[in-house]
Amino acid sequence: MKSLFTKKTDQKNEDIIIVSGLPRSGTSMMMQMLEAGGLDIMTDGKRTADDNNLKGYYEFEKTRKIKNDISWIQDCGGKAVKIVSPLLYFLPEQNRYRIIFMERDMREIINSQNKMLERLNNAGSGLSDKEMILKNRNHIKDIKEWISARNNMDVIYINYNEVINSSLQKSKEINEFLENKLDTEKMSAVIDRTLYRQRAGAGTL
Amino acid sequence: MKTAKIKIDKDLFDMSREYSLTAGYSSVEEFITHLLEKELKKNRKVPGIDEDMEKQLQGLGYIE
Repeated sequence: MKSLFTKKTDQKNEDIIIVSGLPRSGTSMMMQMLEAGGLDIMTDGKRTADDNNLKGYYEFEKTRKIKNDISWIQDCGGKAVKIVSPLLYFLPEQNRYRIIFMERDMREIINSQNKMLERLNNAGSGLSDKEMILKNRNHIKDIKEWISARNNMDVIYINYNEVINSSLQKSKEINEFLENKLDTEKMSAVIDRTLYRQRAGAGTL
Repeated sequence: MKTAKIKIDKDLFDMSREYSLTAGYSSVEEFITHLLEKELKKNRKVPGIDEDMEKQLQGLGYIE
């Protein structure tokens, strides 16, 4: 079977585990799975569970300031930290990263982002859904090319919808990527299909 | 295909030619072309965020 990820070096012990993807692509769910599986995670709990993320955001406040200060990344060796994909460009070159990159139907992502903006009563980009989808698709293409050109990054792409439907199988794939350190049964057990609320419609986006 | 010539240190050229053959390249030109393409691809994207995506991230609370 063709490998689902690329492995560029044998340096593994203190790689920083990055859970990434667009906002609302399933990054919080993946963090929850990793924690349940036994991986140390970097989170400060400042952004607590709400209607947008019923099981919590699993965020680390300092990632919001990544443009100005990335020094904290040195404390993340062997741990998982959630960093949305547009911010990956700011990761310093001197570290090694294993990136679990979440992918999801783009219409579901935009629908979910719109609902979250509405609940937060915040403005977003102001672009139409079609424009945001196009922009996000271009971003994903660019960031994949950028990651593939980095010698200090290994990546596995995980589809959110496939995790929902085949959580144990996907947990095993992720565990293999992380060198079989995790409890896949516990990872799989955290998947709650009732949280899968933003299904793609039959629209023309 | 149009081509151009550049000058590099002779010792470096000899080392490159020797390496290119052992590494499976058909020529030193192919080896150096590969290196240049890889480096240019790596640096093509300047770290930064598209303005619209930045506004979206701010609205969603992922960036200050």
